[in-house]
Amino acid sequence: MADEDVSPQSSYHRDAIKTSVHNTSAQRRRQLAVAVGKERREALIRTKRLCREAHFDDNEASLEGDMNIDEERAVLNAQASQIIEDLKSATTYQGKGAAQKKVEALRALRRLLSKSEFPPVKAALQAGAVPLLVQYLSFGSPDEQLLEAAWCLTNIAAGEPEETKSLVPALPLLVAHLGEKSSVPVAEQCAWALGNVAGEGDELRNILLAQGALLPLARLMMSNKGSTARTASWALSNLIKGPQPNAATELIRIKGVLDAIIQHLRNLDDELVTEVAWVVVYLSALSEAAVSLLVKSDVVHLLVGKLAASERLHLLIPVLRSLGNLVAADSYMTDKVLVVGHNTTDQILLGLIKCLKSEHRVLKKEAAWVLSNIAAGSVGHKELIFSSEATPLMIHLLSSAPFDIRKEVAYTLGNLCVAPAKNAEQPSIIVHHLVALVNRECISGFIHLVRSADIQSAKLGLQFLELVMRGMPNREGPKLVEREDGIDAMERFQFHENEEMRTMANGLVDKYFGEDYGLDE
Amino acid sequence: MESSGGEELGLGSRWWIASRRRLMPDDPFFSAGNIERELLAKQVALDLTEDERYQLQKMEVANTEPVFCPIVGCAARLDCLEDFEGHYHARHTASCSVCSRVFPTSRLLSIHISEAHDSFFQAKVARGFPMYECLVEGCGVKLKSYKSRQQHLVDKHKFPTTFEFYKKAHPSKHQRQKHQRRQASHPKEAANDTDMDVDRKSSKQIYQKYRPKKASLKEGKEAEMEVEERMDDLVSAVSKLSTSDSSPSSISFGHRHARGFAFVPRSIHQNRKQTSQSEAKG
Repeated sequence: MADEDVSPQSSYHRDAIKTSVHNTSAQRRRQLAVAVGKERREALIRTKRLCREAHFDDNEASLEGDMNIDEERAVLNAQASQIIEDLKSATTYQGKGAAQKKVEALRALRRLLSKSEFPPVKAALQAGAVPLLVQYLSFGSPDEQLLEAAWCLTNIAAGEPEETKSLVPALPLLVAHLGEKSSVPVAEQCAWALGNVAGEGDELRNILLAQGALLPLARLMMSNKGSTARTASWALSNLIKGPQPNAATELIRIKGVLDAIIQHLRNLDDELVTEVAWVVVYLSALSEAAVSLLVKSDVVHLLVGKLAASERLHLLIPVLRSLGNLVAADSYMTDKVLVVGHNTTDQILLGLIKCLKSEHRVLKKEAAWVLSNIAAGSVGHKELIFSSEATPLMIHLLSSAPFDIRKEVAYTLGNLCVAPAKNAEQPSIIVHHLVALVNRECISGFIHLVRSADIQSAKLGLQFLELVMRGMPNREGPKLVEREDGIDAMERFQFHENEEMRTMANGLVDKYFGEDYGLDE
Repeated sequence: MESSGGEELGLGSRWWIASRRRLMPDDPFFSAGNIERELLAKQVALDLTEDERYQLQKMEVANTEPVFCPIVGCAARLDCLEDFEGHYHARHTASCSVCSRVFPTSRLLSIHISEAHDSFFQAKVARGFPMYECLVEGCGVKLKSYKSRQQHLVDKHKFPTTFEFYKKAHPSKHQRQKHQRRQASHPKEAANDTDMDVDRKSSKQIYQKYRPKKASLKEGKEAEMEVEERMDDLVSAVSKLSTSDSSPSSISFGHRHARGFAFVPRSIHQNRKQTSQSEAKG
């Protein structure tokens, strides 16, 4: 989100730059561009977010636009140090207008930290920003001051790990200002800062949880004000994402949380629904208690509705994943909720098919995963999926999609061919599904998996070949496998390092291509 | 199929079992979606340059750990799974132009060619030179017969006793029918005798190397004949070793990369007779 304001260039400035160009500096600029590229990429994918928008009307002075990155950074760093000095002296102001002066100094720092692509966070920290800002956060300070201070901390925390960690002295105050006594914008800004801190990592999450950040954030999440609920939800998703499940379990137990989630999922604002859906993602992935509550609630129906109706990738990802987590975690979903014949079931299938058709790799892959788990349900589920548009789509993906999607699709297609297992018996084959898939040339897709370096996929492929060779009528299976060079693929395992794979592959070859092979030709 | 977590290397079942697979939120499976989330949230998706988009996609893919070639002794490091097939074809498909057998290293291929298709080699063997190289790279030992080389592999390098370096090519349909008819007219107890009928012996060699049907139609017949001749000599040299599976399954082969592997504990169609005949040649 580069807010580089472009102001008219002075020709003097431009000439000055031109004359300094020669080989080494061009090279440096290229190197710097590569470094910036990497930095920018990392900044883009961080789970932290810079706060740039104004909460209120603000006359923003624009930054000079005509500098190269080096120069801009130098200027910003200098400004940062200067402003921190101003802030230091401002703490001593007394009397009339003192509050205003403090706010102005804070605002200057805040602007510095939110305008450019790479705010001068290090320089600010080195000059002593955090202890200073902690002072400005003290109880009883005017709201505007609290807001600006929290905003500065938000953007300091949005950067690299050490920068985020530098906020530790400020955490208790930030948590305190989440409370009901605070004004809404202040609480919201503090939530944002804490969301960044939680997004840094496990250690900081545990500190925040120990300091009691969960409950006030949950309360903020229940707010009716959209921006507050949204920011708090996002912060919560960073806070409960684990890997330990305790935060998620604690969250679902807080009174009112589930109801708030349900209510927000009904909201027309997609941004809000998205952030809340991410909370559901982590609740459903980590907390058994949450899963049992969620599967019995309206949440499923609401999520399915969004899955079927929405076209927005941003929203579909967490919605799809939440449903995936719930289906994977609890058989209640396929047993009681997604019953064949129910409207919800038809809708979820439509939604999943839409994702399979999507151009977005993520949606295809995760939808296939969800389908594979539904296909692991009852025979009725298998028949429902099998007779739907999903099957031809998946058959096509099996041969054409990138590896990760092929693998998930393979799980689904195989699951369609096998009845639910009873105890430790060899599961029986649903022959007409198997025959249909084989006739649509799925064997080669599975043989391709057998050749993969990924052991799980190779195993998948071999298991499917076993189904084919065992289950195809008239003992056609081995011939079909042979025709697709399946024997060759299985032979590769002769020199494979994994013993079980070797045993499995060789067992199949010995069993189906032994001396009796071709006997009845 | 595993019903819990994504991390199952237990490889328990031979059969396909349909079960739900649960994944943890930090599973690499989800990383592409997580990255997408952050990009969309920062509303820079449109501001990304083409190069950046490409780099990010590479990051998503490279999020998975590098892939290591699973062929024994190789351990080549590959950037991604898609690269594996190319690597495999480049490195592990040394194939014999005579009988189409495929070997994972060119060294094994050249050993095979000498032993199976080279009359000069056979001549030296006949004159008592130790020609059968140990298959383990770096060992350097040479033995006088296929059988003694086999024994060396078992004794020194802990190969399973069922390992067979030499295997006859998979017969064409015509060949199969021919010897299956013969099998039918000579009842099974003939299997116990010391008859050196090549066909029948070879029919006891369970696993026969497959050759793609198209090849066998074109130039296969001649090659097969030649192979069968070699077979006469070599099969007689193949010892029917006792197939107790008591040999340890972990062996090292080739350069030690801190990994051992087990050679082909394939179940041979129960040819578990102890024959005391030692073959004439070698």
